[in-house]
Amino acid sequence: MNRSALFASRNAKEILRDPLSYIFCLGFPVIMLVVMSVVNESIPPQAGMVIFRIDNLAPAIAFFGLMFTMLMAALQISKDRGSSFLIRLYASPMKAWDFIGGYFLPMMFIALAQLLVCAVCSAVIASITDVELNIGNLLLSALVMLIPAALMTGFGMLFGSLFSEKAAPGLCSIIISVGSMLGGIFMDVDALGGVILKICKVLPFYYCVTAGRCALSGEFGEMVSPLLVSAGYTIAVTVLAVLAFRRRMKADMN
Amino acid sequence: MYAAQTIDLVKKYGDKTAVDGINFYVEEGELFALLGVNGAGKTTTVRMLCCLSTPTSGDALICGKSAVKEPDAVKALIGISTQDTAVAPNLTVRENLEFTAGIYGFSKEKIKAKTEEMEKAFDLTEVMDKRTKTLSGGWQRKVSIAMALISEPKVLFLDEPTLGLDVLARRELWKVITALKGKITIILTTHYMEEAEALSDRIAVMTGGKIAAMGTLAELEALSGEKGLENAFIKIAEDAKKGVL
Repeated sequence: MNRSALFASRNAKEILRDPLSYIFCLGFPVIMLVVMSVVNESIPPQAGMVIFRIDNLAPAIAFFGLMFTMLMAALQISKDRGSSFLIRLYASPMKAWDFIGGYFLPMMFIALAQLLVCAVCSAVIASITDVELNIGNLLLSALVMLIPAALMTGFGMLFGSLFSEKAAPGLCSIIISVGSMLGGIFMDVDALGGVILKICKVLPFYYCVTAGRCALSGEFGEMVSPLLVSAGYTIAVTVLAVLAFRRRMKADMN
Repeated sequence: MYAAQTIDLVKKYGDKTAVDGINFYVEEGELFALLGVNGAGKTTTVRMLCCLSTPTSGDALICGKSAVKEPDAVKALIGISTQDTAVAPNLTVRENLEFTAGIYGFSKEKIKAKTEEMEKAFDLTEVMDKRTKTLSGGWQRKVSIAMALISEPKVLFLDEPTLGLDVLARRELWKVITALKGKITIILTTHYMEEAEALSDRIAVMTGGKIAAMGTLAELEALSGEKGLENAFIKIAEDAKKGVL
């Protein structure tokens, strides 16, 4: 096994053996799917509010869950930096790319598992609430969300490289709150329009959720634009994260 | 060829000189201690020898390889156990050892054999399948040293190995280090006089980034005219401060 894969395996074990990972990455999104579906059932049809209907909710909550992978990545990197464990590894034959790959890969596997769990829960809720969901599109939506998964992992690596074990989770919490509101997860930003929508369209979260919703609804033509914007943000944030990690590594070794 | 050597080694952080042109060598199989108070430059010296810090000038050699020009070659020759316990907390002792052996490119069979060897050498059987974060500080240091040794290094760096440990854990770790003497070259940094006295073949006294004196305990006692390492150290450090040495 190469060094990157070995380090990825170590990081996966570190994260998966922390009960908080399950609570935040799996438990919380599943609970939100259920709670918001109950809320949706309580909204009278005359209100015309469909944001919490499972076909809208499923990709949104999937993205909500992915934001916690950012928290996990940031925590793991900042914790490693705070201990002497990375110093030991810096003195070993491991290279910068082994570290970056080792942090990135397990988060993507965790994100994939999280997306599949959310998809299964969404399918169950859809069948209970009599909402028609195309299973193929649901799986496609989960696959599309891998791009936002990479984006959030990139954010996590960036914050974990730049900030301490105490500061990084706080910053991630702010991003989760902002992403939840301005990504259109718990608020119909398209219906609000105006300045709020303009702000949403400056940030990546809205595009991530919209791409997922388009994939689920089968509006593939509509999906291309938000998907490309999400991919653009993902590339930019990942490059920044790699630069930040390498810079931090260099600083630690001076 | 020496196991380790520094040549006019200097490290500056802005205006502050942490290590000021030090020269020393360590013979193969020797246990060499860098002794000094906090801030004397011991850890900075070790960091430069381990390619963890780039010297401002001069060089550090491990088995003739330059830490400046050939860091990859040097990294393959060394093992380090740092001041803080450098273990993966949620991994078991076995997983920590296997992971460390793996990153040095060992085959599956060799990883298994080396892990068993470390288990026996460090008497780790009872904790092998426990997560390292559940172990006491003393056990964690033992695991940390075992991780540093599993890659079969030529030179082992122990940076303040007993810092923060209680007296029983410290004595236990001394036994481990004593058992390694002669089998591998060890460079130990410490500010505990009794530790340097009990373990070292030769001692370099560092003050203000410089080596004020170097030699066996008997040689340092003769140089300072004092009995015991603590008295000799104080005399040497005071003389160095006055500029006598």
